[in-house]
Amino acid sequence: MFRLGYLLSLLFAGLSCFASPAPQPAQKGEELQVSDNAVGRYGGVLVVAQRSEPKTLNPATAADAPSREVIGRLNADLIHINRLSQQTEPALAKSWTVSKDGRIYTVNLRRGLRFSNGQPFDADDVVFSFQVYLDEKVNSPQRDLLIIGGKPIQVQKVNQYCLRFTLSQPYAAAERIFDSLDIMPRRLLEKSYQEGTFGQLWTLNTPPAEIAGMGPFRLKEYVPGQKIVLERNPYFWKVDRSKNRLPYLDELAFLFVGNEDAQVIRFQAGDTDVISRLSAENYVLLSRDADNRGIELSDLGPSLEYNFLVFNLNDLSSKHLDNVAAKQAWFGNVNFRQAVSSAIDRQGIVKLVYAGRGTALWGNVSPSNKFWVEATLPHPARSVEHARQLLQSAGFSWRGDGQLIDHQGQTVEFSIITSSSNAQRTKMATLIQDDLSKLGMNVHIVPLEFRALLDRIFQTYDYEASIMGLGGGDADPNSEMNVWLSGGATHLWHLGETKPATDWEGQIDQLMQKQLVEIKYDERKRLYDQVQEILAADVPFVFLATPNILVGAKKNLANFKPAILEPNTLWNVEQLYYSSPGAQP
Amino acid sequence: MKFLERRLLHAILLLIGASLLCFLFSTLAPGSYFDEMKLNPQISSATVAALRSQYGLDQPLPLRYEHWVKSVLHGEWGYSFAYNLPVRGLVVVRARNTLLLTSLAAALAWLIAIPLGVWTASRPGQWEDRLSMAGTSFLLSVPELVVALGLLYCVIRTHALPVGGMVSADHDSLGLWGRVRDLSAHLIVPVATLVLASLPILIRHVRASMMEVLQAPFIQSARGHGIGRMTLLFRYALPAAANPLISLFGLSVAGLLSGSLLVEVISGWPGLGPLLLEACLSRDFYVVVGVVTASTLFMILGSLLADVMLAMADPRVRMDNV
Amino acid sequence: MTSRRKVIGASSFLLALHLAILFAGFIAPSDPASQNRDFPFAPPTRLHFVDAQGRFHLRPFIYQTEPAPEGLYEYLENRAQAYTVRFFVSGPKYKVAGLLPLHTHLFGVDSPAQIFLAGSDSYGRDQFSRILYGGQISLAAGLLAAGISLLLGLLVGCVSGFYAGWIDESAMRLAELFLVLPWLYVLLAIRSFLPLHVSPAETFFLLVAVIGTIGWARPARLIRGIVLSAKMRKYVTASRGFGASDAYILRRHVLPHAYGTLLTQAALLVPQYVIAEVTLSFLGLGLSEPMPSWGNLLANLQQYSVLVSYWWMFLPALALVLVSLGYLAVADAFHQQLQSGSM
Repeated sequence: MFRLGYLLSLLFAGLSCFASPAPQPAQKGEELQVSDNAVGRYGGVLVVAQRSEPKTLNPATAADAPSREVIGRLNADLIHINRLSQQTEPALAKSWTVSKDGRIYTVNLRRGLRFSNGQPFDADDVVFSFQVYLDEKVNSPQRDLLIIGGKPIQVQKVNQYCLRFTLSQPYAAAERIFDSLDIMPRRLLEKSYQEGTFGQLWTLNTPPAEIAGMGPFRLKEYVPGQKIVLERNPYFWKVDRSKNRLPYLDELAFLFVGNEDAQVIRFQAGDTDVISRLSAENYVLLSRDADNRGIELSDLGPSLEYNFLVFNLNDLSSKHLDNVAAKQAWFGNVNFRQAVSSAIDRQGIVKLVYAGRGTALWGNVSPSNKFWVEATLPHPARSVEHARQLLQSAGFSWRGDGQLIDHQGQTVEFSIITSSSNAQRTKMATLIQDDLSKLGMNVHIVPLEFRALLDRIFQTYDYEASIMGLGGGDADPNSEMNVWLSGGATHLWHLGETKPATDWEGQIDQLMQKQLVEIKYDERKRLYDQVQEILAADVPFVFLATPNILVGAKKNLANFKPAILEPNTLWNVEQLYYSSPGAQP
Repeated sequence: MKFLERRLLHAILLLIGASLLCFLFSTLAPGSYFDEMKLNPQISSATVAALRSQYGLDQPLPLRYEHWVKSVLHGEWGYSFAYNLPVRGLVVVRARNTLLLTSLAAALAWLIAIPLGVWTASRPGQWEDRLSMAGTSFLLSVPELVVALGLLYCVIRTHALPVGGMVSADHDSLGLWGRVRDLSAHLIVPVATLVLASLPILIRHVRASMMEVLQAPFIQSARGHGIGRMTLLFRYALPAAANPLISLFGLSVAGLLSGSLLVEVISGWPGLGPLLLEACLSRDFYVVVGVVTASTLFMILGSLLADVMLAMADPRVRMDNV
Repeated sequence: MTSRRKVIGASSFLLALHLAILFAGFIAPSDPASQNRDFPFAPPTRLHFVDAQGRFHLRPFIYQTEPAPEGLYEYLENRAQAYTVRFFVSGPKYKVAGLLPLHTHLFGVDSPAQIFLAGSDSYGRDQFSRILYGGQISLAAGLLAAGISLLLGLLVGCVSGFYAGWIDESAMRLAELFLVLPWLYVLLAIRSFLPLHVSPAETFFLLVAVIGTIGWARPARLIRGIVLSAKMRKYVTASRGFGASDAYILRRHVLPHAYGTLLTQAALLVPQYVIAEVTLSFLGLGLSEPMPSWGNLLANLQQYSVLVSYWWMFLPALALVLVSLGYLAVADAFHQQLQSGSM
């Protein structure tokens, strides 16, 4: 009898491989989150193309974007940042309270939830997950997020569905830390973790039965070099207003296509249903016959990323880089940097690099970052005249043939390194080279292979100027601490400072540290505005432009609400459905 | 047997030499796999340094080489930083895909080159010959890259074939015949590019060595005996002309794993090419070493095959080696 | 056509091409680096011979290109005014072979109109001028790399074939090793190591020299074969008997056999290396902005949007094919002459 039942369940399991699991009916005591999207219908496969392959499915060790894109659909976090509103909202945690001093967060979990393999979810899983993230031997890229004020966050279990997080100092955006800290199943992973082999867990070759998460989908199959297919998680903890358990889609498939152009080709051919982060030329190309192909393209406005020209102001005394060190006399002069900024044709960059779908930047905060942008900062128009005046006041002059020379008679000549794989930044460099030639500066462009570039920027400091891009992670200024703090790891123009090299850098340090622990938004905004003003005056980065977020999707994909924050198109994948029979598996 | 022993020893030396040089080169190219994390303001440099030492990147070169050799003997071929998987699994799957592509292309190219080369050699100076020479000259002048791009352009414009990848998204749901058709449709562009790229050289070589043989006295006398044209060409002349062609065939086999990098990258075929390129650029160097060693292995196999075939086909070679 | 005539014919064609490229400054109407930011991806300017009234003019004329109101990268002809194509006009300064400064150009139009015979690129730069100037760099790269390859190949082939024994064995093994390795890595490494104040042109030529150096294996094998067979001849043995030194024998008896092959190889290698430059540019190791080379002109086609929408960006391939055909014709002619000329 027992054996028959066993065989039957095997048979059933075998057969059900071929069908996507149906959503489980709501159980008693299951505290589900009601999602207020338009009610949709079940069915369909969403196909997305990725530029390169995901490398792992392990939430604690994944660092590359394609992996994170897949992992984000398989897992869920306690408190989530809504990508559209850019504010936090409850996720696996149904509510939380903060102590008066802002240091202690008491978080209440939803009850009765299950992982994608049916195992129950409770506070033990949260404790385990944070233990893994904080473990020094695992070296998770997210570990540093949990170190506040030099000390790791402390996690205590209060009861089966309640936890207490204690920070060593008040932290303004503490809620935002929890976003993307995915909760992992303790029962499946604890043993390996204790044996010290956590890093080898959940690689791409792992059989689907060994992977479980709280996300809307679970792993169905992986074909090396080609695709990874996810299927509906029947136990997912969100429902729509009509009590239908989400997600609507049966399957989500990621194809690995190699590069952006291949993504565009597939999308245009109808093989894929959604495309994100289009370059402007491809957007123009796709929009030519968008209607015929049943696709709809959207321009979401400026992204959060900022591209800039940075001059090498590192301390080169211990390195043998006399050439570069001599030029630092120019780069270190704020009038020189302001002159460069004044001579650059930002509108030309927006037009030729982003085909008009971009925004010129004079600061690090993009206009779409509605909560933090300093709207009253001046946006001076391009003026070669003004640049010349600034250069003159800095002691530069011009030779008979128009070449710029400094007060010692040296010709002003320097190189800009860019990543050869980033066509946009190389283009910006070419435009800037032309612009600066109008000032009599002789600029070389040196495209370097990406890692070679990083090596020069972070390791050897053997470069003169570079065009780079940062930002785009989160809207909150705390995500940029390491860029603006003088000792920060991404304080690119002058790395390895033990104390601020200039007064204004010291001022920025103080302001950023203050806003870190300031709980009230208005005060934080005031402090961050001041930082932006200092950056505009002292231009450690000559800010250039930001691209618009350009996305596309099939017309019959409903509830498609692309956002500026990543993942731009899939952040609400559980709400997406096909309004007319689109792709059936 | 001495011949085989010598070749085996030579093969092992070559493999060791290739892998050693690869390791050496890896120290030359600046940067390491984890450098990309440095750009993320939310990851501290301490974490990056810890990851580097966790994967043994700060160990001295001889030690790393020793670990790698041990790993090869265990069948793992080293560890990929990116995928956190042994290199062997990665390489084997993609090598299969590449071999499918290149062996098909090589077979097709030879199947076209031999008859065409023989035919044009038998009519030197006539319009067939002139046309073939002009055609091969033209193909030789166009870089493989431009051929690939041109074919891609035609396919995209005419929507005749699927673009990119090895199979369509719904491949698994098709029946057997459907799957074969799907795979073939995706194969057409990369195979055509490879065939067009290798065809001119093959045709020219076949033609050149056939022409040389056709001048030989024994052919004249065979013709005098009234032996038919086809028999003359294929049964008498071709085997005599085979010597340099066999070496060329050995080169074809040798290049099966390494010759298609650009074509795979451009047409999105999931083979060793894109894997190697991405590994080179992201400094996942155990993957690089693994792929290079695998390619070297094929090179050795190819020249070994050529030598064996040569010994079988040409008695003079057998005499020399015995 | 006798083979000698063929050699002369093919060589003249090639020479004409090279001259055209040498005088790129004269033939090209614009400076290759001057950007026209209002005209990105402008299609080739149409030459008209018949005007609006239906009259035929011997001299072609053009209408000014204007950006169309509706979209970016769309252009119209402004029929309001016709601009005749003038010959021997004065234009931007250039230097012939880097020495002689001139400013007369073969053809041009009065400003503000511009003539884009081969369209413009993403910065609005005239592609026709860039193809001509690009040929200078690409051909120089091909010649340099081929020269280095042949020189090294000659050296190794001679020594290897002449002395045989273990020198020969090790040289051939080394050649195999060279053919196997991932040179991409080396090139990336070299590229990353160079100090930044090395000018981009110098960097590029260094890379080209490296690929030339890597390619010694094939010519070496060929030369070795020839040296081996020449070594066996009776008169070489006789020479030795008379006390001739190795160097003398090499120079007077062995090398002359190799000249023919060397020339043919040279004619084959140059286009191969020009093509290798295209590949380098595709992988991001090419010449940097704003200097044009056929490689970095064609590398624009890597972008799907360019590949599909702007057909004139394929034109550098045409130039490349013409030059390659020229060299191949010369190689074939040499080869024929060698075969007919020798016993």
